[in-house]
Amino acid sequence: MIDNFALVVTHGLLALALWRLVQRDDLDTDPPADEAPAPAPLPAPKKGSLRA
Amino acid sequence: MLNLALTGFVLAFLALGFRRPYLWVLAYLYIDSLAPQKISWGFLKVIPISLISFILAFGGWMLIDYKANSRFTLRQGLILILLIYCGLTTMTADFPEDALVKWDWVWKALLFAMFVPLTLTTRLRIEAAALIMTLTVGAIVINGAIKTLAGGGGYGTLRLFVDDNSGLYEGSIISAVAISIIPLIFWLMKHGTIFPPDWRVKLYGSALVFSCVLIPIGTQARTGLLCVALLMVMALRTIKRRVLYLSLIAVGVMVAIPLLPKSYTDRMNTIENHNADQSASTRVAVWKWTLEYAKDHPFGGGFDAYRGNQVRVELTDTKGSGNNVTTSTREAFDKARAYHSAYFEMLGEQGWPGLLIWLTLMVSGLLQMELIRGRWKKRTGPGETWQAPLANALQQSLLVYMVGSLFVGIAFQPFCYMLIGLQCGLWSYLKRIESQNVQQRAARPALSLGNAVAAP
Repeated sequence: MIDNFALVVTHGLLALALWRLVQRDDLDTDPPADEAPAPAPLPAPKKGSLRA
Repeated sequence: MLNLALTGFVLAFLALGFRRPYLWVLAYLYIDSLAPQKISWGFLKVIPISLISFILAFGGWMLIDYKANSRFTLRQGLILILLIYCGLTTMTADFPEDALVKWDWVWKALLFAMFVPLTLTTRLRIEAAALIMTLTVGAIVINGAIKTLAGGGGYGTLRLFVDDNSGLYEGSIISAVAISIIPLIFWLMKHGTIFPPDWRVKLYGSALVFSCVLIPIGTQARTGLLCVALLMVMALRTIKRRVLYLSLIAVGVMVAIPLLPKSYTDRMNTIENHNADQSASTRVAVWKWTLEYAKDHPFGGGFDAYRGNQVRVELTDTKGSGNNVTTSTREAFDKARAYHSAYFEMLGEQGWPGLLIWLTLMVSGLLQMELIRGRWKKRTGPGETWQAPLANALQQSLLVYMVGSLFVGIAFQPFCYMLIGLQCGLWSYLKRIESQNVQQRAARPALSLGNAVAAP
């Protein structure tokens, strides 16, 4: 009984996760850069660091 | 009925891989962790599903998957060296037949750990691997936790799905593994996109964490207690309300101790008084034997070299209290005792070179996760907040595993190599993303400069 409960709950969630995964385009390729969030700005140069 | 359902699930899982071959990688993670062929008794027992999923995962990636974003990293190279080294020691093993039995599953775990990062080329794939590992281990954990609450726990007596004491179904191993997935559960609860955070995810995740903590109690494995303690201390690093957290733990411990079964507290007391406990004393004797063995066999004796040991253990019994303490000493003999420590397992079986490679593999994982954490923790932009917490979770998971493996021979447990595979995948993925970002940044000033010139 306990075995069945643990298996049913877990496998139900596994099945749902797999179903959702199959339908997602970003599984095999990340969204293109223009859809992705902008990259973080470059860190500001440290004080006293050499200037080009 | 159960047999049919499990068979149907596994076949459907493999069939979905024809639509998305990456699912075969997930299928292998699932099959290698849960071993549904052990739970089932019909069709799954007859066909080699582990081997089939292994071949499909490799074949799918080789033939169909997009490989331009795959990178082979330094740590994958270390796994390759370890794999070759283990192959060599197997050929010269002290117990060739037994060594071959272990080699039969070790090479698969190592090869898969080397391969998995090549497939982890998107954020969603990394999340999916973490989710499947967590849910699969969760099946065993939920099973054990309910049985523990129902009073079915006990050292060596907690039955987890099968009457088998191998793999994740062994009490001490599942204790360490259950605690080591807790950081991943928290990460999935907060940053998951397959199951986005909502009250249901929080409820299930919290119940799963509670179940994980119950496993060391149910199995009465002392290792688990150490793992829980370590995780609680490590959590202090990232938690914001530390005083509240420490107060809650203090209250939790005070409430929990009276509720723990006496057999559990008795067994935990032997951590302090290990002289009277044959299991712990034999362990120390085997470790001493291994150190001596490594002097004569610095390159290791191959898998299962422990079969050659013979140890004599002196046990001290202490009775009474105050001035009426009496101690008596008795002798116990044992032979062919397992290492009960991953570190001594590596030293005895793979010698100093093997131990060094393995330690480098582990410690470099901790360092890489620390570097990722440092690089990403201050980023707050959209899509930039999941990386540092995942690195932190994977670091904590591995550290808990490393502490658990001080007292359990789990140097080659496939779960450990899945964690390492995830770490390598995350490292490689973020390196690529960061280099793309740098290229984008380099391109943007040029563009804006062009616009400025063209503007009236």
